[in-house]
Amino acid sequence: MEVLELILLILATVLFPGVVFCTYYALFLEWVDRKFFARLQNRVGPWITGPKGILQPIADIIKLLAKEDITPNGVDRAGFVGAPFFALTLALFSLMFVPIASTSGILSFKGDLLIVLFISTVFGIIIIFAGYVSASRFSIVGTARAGLQFVGYEIPLFVSAIIPALIARSLTLKEIVEWQIAHYPLILCFPAMIAFGIFIVCSLAKLEKLPFDIPEAETEIVAGWATEFSGKKLALFRLSTDLKMLLLAGLATALFLGGPAPWGFTLPADLNPYLAALIYSIWFVIKTIIVVLIMSTLKAAFARYRIDQALRGFWRYLTPLSLAILILTPIVAYHFYW
Amino acid sequence: MSEERMFRIPVGPQHPALKEPINFTFIVDGERVVDVKPRIGYNHRGIEKLMESKTYIQGLYLIERICGICSAAHQGCYAQNIEEAAGIEAPPRGVYLRTLIWELERIHSHLLWVGVAYHEIGFDTLFMYVWRDRERVMDILEMISGNRVNYAMNTIGGVRRDVTPEIVDNALKALDYLEERTKYYKKVTEEDDSILARTVNVGILKTEDAKRLCAVGPTARASGLKVDVRRDDPYGAYDELDFDVVVYDTCDLTARVLVRIDEVLESIKMCRQILQNLPSGPVRVKFKRKVPEGESISKVEAPRGEDLHYVKANGTEKPERYKVRAPTLANIPSVCEMLKGGYIADIPIVFAGIDPCIACTDRMLFIDVNTERKWMWTEEELRMYARKWYKKHLKEVVRERWKC
Repeated sequence: MEVLELILLILATVLFPGVVFCTYYALFLEWVDRKFFARLQNRVGPWITGPKGILQPIADIIKLLAKEDITPNGVDRAGFVGAPFFALTLALFSLMFVPIASTSGILSFKGDLLIVLFISTVFGIIIIFAGYVSASRFSIVGTARAGLQFVGYEIPLFVSAIIPALIARSLTLKEIVEWQIAHYPLILCFPAMIAFGIFIVCSLAKLEKLPFDIPEAETEIVAGWATEFSGKKLALFRLSTDLKMLLLAGLATALFLGGPAPWGFTLPADLNPYLAALIYSIWFVIKTIIVVLIMSTLKAAFARYRIDQALRGFWRYLTPLSLAILILTPIVAYHFYW
Repeated sequence: MSEERMFRIPVGPQHPALKEPINFTFIVDGERVVDVKPRIGYNHRGIEKLMESKTYIQGLYLIERICGICSAAHQGCYAQNIEEAAGIEAPPRGVYLRTLIWELERIHSHLLWVGVAYHEIGFDTLFMYVWRDRERVMDILEMISGNRVNYAMNTIGGVRRDVTPEIVDNALKALDYLEERTKYYKKVTEEDDSILARTVNVGILKTEDAKRLCAVGPTARASGLKVDVRRDDPYGAYDELDFDVVVYDTCDLTARVLVRIDEVLESIKMCRQILQNLPSGPVRVKFKRKVPEGESISKVEAPRGEDLHYVKANGTEKPERYKVRAPTLANIPSVCEMLKGGYIADIPIVFAGIDPCIACTDRMLFIDVNTERKWMWTEEELRMYARKWYKKHLKEVVRERWKC
């Protein structure tokens, strides 16, 4: 490998579209979410820091980093300190697979969709772990709820993410995106549009947003599994939640909305690669914002469910529905898409 | 499983769901609540004792500060009580205005509660909308009294301020808006699935339990008990107004929400009647600072239920004893009954269901559970007791503290 290529790869990993871009963009998405959610509720939302409060999420993180960092007595020290780092590292690592500035992510190999989904499952386990080691009553109840919710949403989420792979006949994100560029975004295909809905609902559950913020329902169990975390650790968890939102929005974009490719026209093959990267990134931003706005709207329209009601919903409706689509997809795809 | 081995969750005195200091220890089995132990007394401010050192006029402003939300109920009840003890009677226009403030306060209190209830079940969108609309009734109150929270409207012998025709016009307009919005919230509460999922058959308080545990106010009316001081023992201008006592018999949280929304509609109706039929004349009569020896009791229907005041006068400018029984205290046994057998997730909404006001509730009352003896202590006696107790138990206490 040439030296220049190596430097470019390092720059891509660290700066764009790697760690730095993803972090700031995730914080920006949090602002979009908060502002839009607030406007739906007839509030103004973040307002003071920066123009229209755009710097508020960054200010929150900086404030938390400056706060006293408490490790309560009786917690499992190694686990308690390690859990936020695990969460953040895994979120950043899985973002390396999401196509942002080109049709493939920074890392890309055959079957990488599976590894992204696998890592997203580990998030749930880290949350359970973090709550379990913090040895607080509210954390224990929150953890039990997180675990229960986890077994609810994980299967429909997986199945709905596999359906685009079935239609595009590949488990590689790059090839799914390229299939969509060659044909049409998968959200326009019949079974995949239902899968998109399931994916969004399960994403809300995975991000612990309303109406599925049951594991951290503040009016019931303070902050649930995150009750004991403060200062830097809480900042890392907050950041990893934002990154998770970016990951899920990015996955939804790559799987259903045609990835970072523009709608309506295809880029010529001999285009300057830097210009192409810019266009791809702009379309990625537009599409992820659309996904986040859909999530915010759903958040504003529901009351929080109780854990038993949420689980019943997942097992009685979403799981059978997603499995039914899974069976239906090859039949439909055989006739129309392959 | 024995009770000692079960999981205990402390809720309060500081907790995001309970805005005021009260402590509940919940004994839970998984997500189910097995038993509830309330503990009150974190907010004792000695108001009753302080009343004894204030003149009757000063007392007006102290009694108002028992509670921010039902301030007019307390103050009006106090004024009514002292008027009775002093043998004076407020003029009709004063009584009408007093009743107007009571009803406007009920509207604002109930809307506040509906918003809080939506927040407790995690429906923040509706919470924000309700509170936005509640600003309209706050504006009316500010227009009439000059204040948003502690109105300082009542005085002994009537009210302190009069209303002008412009205020009446503006208030009637705002009431139209409020009625339309309240009807919308009623529709949403009756139809939205995610609200119904969290409220139907939650926090059941059966009619006979409500009767046995002496529930008051909307809590009792949502359990099918038709109790309302305004109807049962009319005071103010209520015997001249046309209104219905709202009763629901499903005994659950949906009933408690709907009772309050319907009462807002009834209150709007009453406010309109008052504003359109205001009698003319003065708004207050003179009160001669001293009250002859004697006792008196006065009751009003505060937004949360029956509010009872007692005064013992000794012929001076100051009361000898003043006693307040606020509605939340009467509802604490009921809420413990509602919480048993429910889910942890339902604790905030069920507790909020009685519209608790801890500031009104806390008293220095000691109960020995073994002998069921009840007594009250003066500060000096309490101090003596504390000294004696520490002399006896010092070693254990020190040992306990050093261990931690």
